[in-house]
Amino acid sequence: MKDVVVFIEHHAATPRRVSLELAGKAKEIATRLGGETHAVIAGADSRALAEVVQAYPIDVIHVADDPDADVFAIDPQVDYLTSVATRNEPALILVGNTMLGRDVGSRCAARIGAGYIADVIEIAVTDGRVACVAPRLGGTAMVTCAFPAGVPGVVAVRPNVFTAERQAGAGQIAQLEKPAGRSYAIRIDEDVQQAAGALAVEEASVVVSGGRGLGGPEPFTTILADLADALGGAVGASRAAVDAGWIAHAHQVGQTGKAISPQLYIAVGISGAIQHRVGMRTAGTIVAINKDSGAPIGEFADLLVVGDLFAIVPQLTEQVRRAKAVPA
Amino acid sequence: MKIVVTVKLVPDTNADKRIDPATKRLVRTGVDTVLNPFDEYALEAALQIRDALADGSTVTVFSMAPESGKEVVRKALAMGADDAAMLSDTALEGSDSAATAFAMSRALQSIGFDLILMGTQSTDAITGAVPGMLAEYLGVPGVTYARKLECDGSSISAERETETGYQRVHASLPALVSVTKSINQPRYPSLKGIMGAKKKEIRMLTAAGAEQSKTEVVGMQAPPARAKGRVVTVADGAEGARVIVDFLRERKLV
Ligand SMILES: Cc1cc2nc3c(=O)[nH]c(=O)nc-3n(C[C@H](O)[C@H](O)[C@H](O)COP(=O)(O)OP(=O)(O)OC[C@H]3O[C@@H](n4cnc5c(N)ncnc54)[C@H](O)[C@@H]3O)c2cc1C
Ligand SMILES: Nc1ncnc2c1ncn2[C@@H]1O[C@H](COP(=O)(O)O)[C@@H](O)[C@H]1O
Repeated sequence: MKDVVVFIEHHAATPRRVSLELAGKAKEIATRLGGETHAVIAGADSRALAEVVQAYPIDVIHVADDPDADVFAIDPQVDYLTSVATRNEPALILVGNTMLGRDVGSRCAARIGAGYIADVIEIAVTDGRVACVAPRLGGTAMVTCAFPAGVPGVVAVRPNVFTAERQAGAGQIAQLEKPAGRSYAIRIDEDVQQAAGALAVEEASVVVSGGRGLGGPEPFTTILADLADALGGAVGASRAAVDAGWIAHAHQVGQTGKAISPQLYIAVGISGAIQHRVGMRTAGTIVAINKDSGAPIGEFADLLVVGDLFAIVPQLTEQVRRAKAVPA
Repeated sequence: MKIVVTVKLVPDTNADKRIDPATKRLVRTGVDTVLNPFDEYALEAALQIRDALADGSTVTVFSMAPESGKEVVRKALAMGADDAAMLSDTALEGSDSAATAFAMSRALQSIGFDLILMGTQSTDAITGAVPGMLAEYLGVPGVTYARKLECDGSSISAERETETGYQRVHASLPALVSVTKSINQPRYPSLKGIMGAKKKEIRMLTAAGAEQSKTEVVGMQAPPARAKGRVVTVADGAEGARVIVDFLRERKLV
């Protein structure tokens, strides 16, 4: 029980950034425990993906170039991750706290009898024991959790809290065999990509979110998207905007959406209700644009600019583009 | 067909939450308990499937919660579920996701089911781990993040949300599905429903075999406080933009 396994999520033949963020953390923990790092990649593209992963500190990259992993939902990924876990008896299995990461991580934990800790923002090893910190109760408490002695742990790590650093490990490739006679239950009839190429809110280091103040769907794809683009970030939203049908639920930040930790969060026309706050209070810097100087978001934003968003946002986009062209 | 909807009882999200430093558990006294909002969508989906099939299919509500939660479960009955079962056992206090899913799996096996509908996540834990674990313990297909669901009595087809779009999937029954809030608009209990719920049965179950929790809470801290920052009222868009860009420069964010 010294090794650390990382589940590599991928999309459009590219590893998701969170998976690469995990590689560095895995190395750090494995070094403390005196073990090795493993990565697990399943899907038709896994060979090519393994080459990308070789730039990161992983000792053994297990690949399953099994087309079933792209045709059936969840279960093949669980199978391959579990088989590596069973064979190497790791102390820790790291997955991203993403939609797929949560599914695969929780099922793997149940299958191998591991503990599962969700939405972790820090992992430390003290006296050979792994402890994880995760916000709970809507971010009102930071809870430190550990696994009982002899029990492996599956940890779902919030994207963006660790950094992905290139530093090649041994990068040895190992082939995973398809379990004989295994068939899968959830067939994918169609896989529809709606936000091709766009950065997911939980992965972006800058998130520009819009709320009811935007007044309709259009500003999300124009002024807000432009600002996000200028900052190299993603577009987020409050529940009010999502419920109004202005933008898809995958963009929602908050208690019934995603909890995110970008370096910079810009809240545009969002009042800052408690259920929204719990999704973004761990952001590095929070800037708000609101016409109401008494909006609750002023209580915890680092900067609240009181004014009309429709006047400020396009100007801001322009000034950001200029600032980036001519560094101060 | 027997549809079971799992509902978690959670503290009202608008209430102040506090953890008891001694037991390291949530203090539930003085805080209103409500149905986990996501689970109302699961219940609505179940009611719609039952009513569309109109073949004598039933909807059972299931909750693992202390007996004191009975009146909250009754709200689910008032929405139109046929009956309810609660797994209430002091041996289950403090269960983590794995222990919860395991205990639920035993109870659900004894209740029997063709289709289990659940919420995607609970608002108090936000782990979203129980659906996958439960599917694993029950050995049935587990379709997560469904935003559309159809059931013909022997199989399901669904649209699952993904980070980049959605997948259309199908699986045969018995199966488990967790739903997102895009799936429907939950109904409000009617007066007739509320009256009728008083007569519906809530069966009380005790744990048949428990699993140890595999995680332990070893510490708890208040998060670093976020101080109130600067508030700047601006005259026009250009000034607003300048204030923000200067601030981002100061913090080396552009
Ligand atoms: C169980 C539950 C779960 C919830 N989960 C979530 C969640 O996950 N995420 C979430 O966000 N919410 C959630 N909510 C809803 C939350 O309580 C708020 O209702 C919601 O966040 C409000 O969204 P908003 O800030 O966009 O809208 P509002 O509160 O209406 O705020 C709009 C803001 O825009 C400003 N504004 C308007 N026009 C302009 C303009 N031209 N220029 C500048 N500013 C302008 C206004 O001053 C106002 O402050 C949840 C609620 C419940 C009960
Ligand atoms: N104690 C419980 N009783 C009934 N259902 C539960 C319980 N805990 C979790 N669930 C179900 O699992 C879903 C996900 O919860 P969680 O994994 O705790 O975020 C919820 O929406 C419920 O449908």
